[in-house]
Amino acid sequence: MAKRKMSQTRRDRRFGFVLIIPIIIVIFGVMGYPFLRAVYLSFTDKVVGSQESFAGLKNYKALIADPIYWKSLKNTMVYTVGCIGAKFLLGLLLAVILNQSFKGKGFFRTVLLIPWAIPGMVVATTWRWMYDSTYGIINSLLISAGISKVGIFWLSDTNLTLLSTMIVNVWRGVPFFMFSILGALQTLDKQQYEAAYVDGAGSLRQFWYITLPSIAGVLGITTLLSTIWTFNDFENVYLITGGGPLYSSSTIATYTYDMAFIQNNFAGALSVAVSVVPILLILIILYTKHNREET
Amino acid sequence: MVMKTRKKVMRNVLTYGILIIAVIVTIFPIYWMLKSSVTVDSEMYVARPSLFSTGFTWDNYKELFTQTHFSKALINSLEIAGITTVCCLIISIFGSYAMTRVKFPGRRFFKTSILFSYLIPTAVLFIPMYVFVSSLGFYDNKFALLIIYPTSVVPYCCYMLMNYFKAIPYALEEAALIDGCTRMQSLLHIIVPIALPGIAVVATFAFTMSWNEYLYAMIMTTSTEQQTAVVAISSFKYADSAIWGRIMSASVITSLPVTIIYIIAQSLLISGKSEGSVK
Repeated sequence: MAKRKMSQTRRDRRFGFVLIIPIIIVIFGVMGYPFLRAVYLSFTDKVVGSQESFAGLKNYKALIADPIYWKSLKNTMVYTVGCIGAKFLLGLLLAVILNQSFKGKGFFRTVLLIPWAIPGMVVATTWRWMYDSTYGIINSLLISAGISKVGIFWLSDTNLTLLSTMIVNVWRGVPFFMFSILGALQTLDKQQYEAAYVDGAGSLRQFWYITLPSIAGVLGITTLLSTIWTFNDFENVYLITGGGPLYSSSTIATYTYDMAFIQNNFAGALSVAVSVVPILLILIILYTKHNREET
Repeated sequence: MVMKTRKKVMRNVLTYGILIIAVIVTIFPIYWMLKSSVTVDSEMYVARPSLFSTGFTWDNYKELFTQTHFSKALINSLEIAGITTVCCLIISIFGSYAMTRVKFPGRRFFKTSILFSYLIPTAVLFIPMYVFVSSLGFYDNKFALLIIYPTSVVPYCCYMLMNYFKAIPYALEEAALIDGCTRMQSLLHIIVPIALPGIAVVATFAFTMSWNEYLYAMIMTTSTEQQTAVVAISSFKYADSAIWGRIMSASVITSLPVTIIYIIAQSLLISGKSEGSVK
């Protein structure tokens, strides 16, 4: 009997392993191996189709001396911080509004989800068309409303290009915040508010002292997850401005692409990508820890 | 009493005011995409296009299917997203079961690895992956995507499925195991049927993830034969200058079905459990 029991746990172990073999292959083989190899290749002079040779810190030295790299890094920071800030505030506002009970709630909730449901590539392409300086609807509306005389050069004014891409990222990303926060708000205990109301606390104070602390965990997790995505947003910037003109809206993601496929400098591109891995690792570790506490 | 009703009215005005602005901002780009796809060129390319279309036409859609490779691209997308979804689901169902129900050493490590790989962004991985997959001989080949997509879809599916499986009471399974069911039978006959609604939602998201993916699809497929729908749209740009009608009609066709499916799945998710998100 004892022997049979032992073999059951042993069978379980073996069975468990067998079941996750495909996952191990996908994560460690298809993903982990190229990633580690990429870190190695960033220290070489790799060109696709030819054998690499070790080049030491050459690529990284070149990066440090590369003003466009620093420009892209700065843009990425501005892009991330700006977009996250806007998405956070707008998402929170809309979630709080949608958490009330009023007529037509279901309708508003569904419509406001749409930007998140549409493929990002299609979103970027559509905005690119709306931004068009001659045929675009945005300028047409601005001129008709008398806000601008000749329109705004969304895609060519180097002071504006990054902002143009950020607007689109925010447009698409607000629903993600809104829904995560709404989910958290719906689990809150109504009694707390009744007690606070009896004690004479107004809506703002209730929000500040009861609502915010209770949804802090979800706010943190949502922000972290969205920060990782926003930091690495490629298609949005690439399809709207292509990182240009003159690298004015270049981010780490588009610059990596530019280096690899336009300048054909694969080792250089890898060093750009690898250079931000420490930042990402910190974010990912924070998220993993946070996630464990939440669940 | 008067004060109170006035406050309530104010609150309602504010609520609807903000929501209506939000809806207009949300709807407008979608409206513009639809409108541009059915507007005649003579009305599209004027200095100040008007908000409403007077010259209605289906020509953009007709040309899209008769003069371009778009239908082939749609089939490619369907093929890639379909195969990816089925394979990833099978892998993930087995894996998630093992990780939530079966005790074996290293379980925690694998769980963390899954979360990690779910979070590692494409922007960091795409060059290494490109070098790796090209070295396997998949150059300008849509099937390269079948190797690449599981690296993001499998972690996502596992992440979601583990939550569903965890919620199923262990007692249900225990009884069957004591009766002599094997683990495999218990997975297929007890766990999967119970989690089926959840699995369907995850499948929908997995499908939209692969369908919408742009960066890998763009770098791995260059010839028109191999392109997926999203890549085909962006390839139109270089073919001609004034083809926004075609681009917008292709955008409508590419996004409409997945958008509707996504919204249905999301509302199922909200009515059931609040957890869940897709890149």
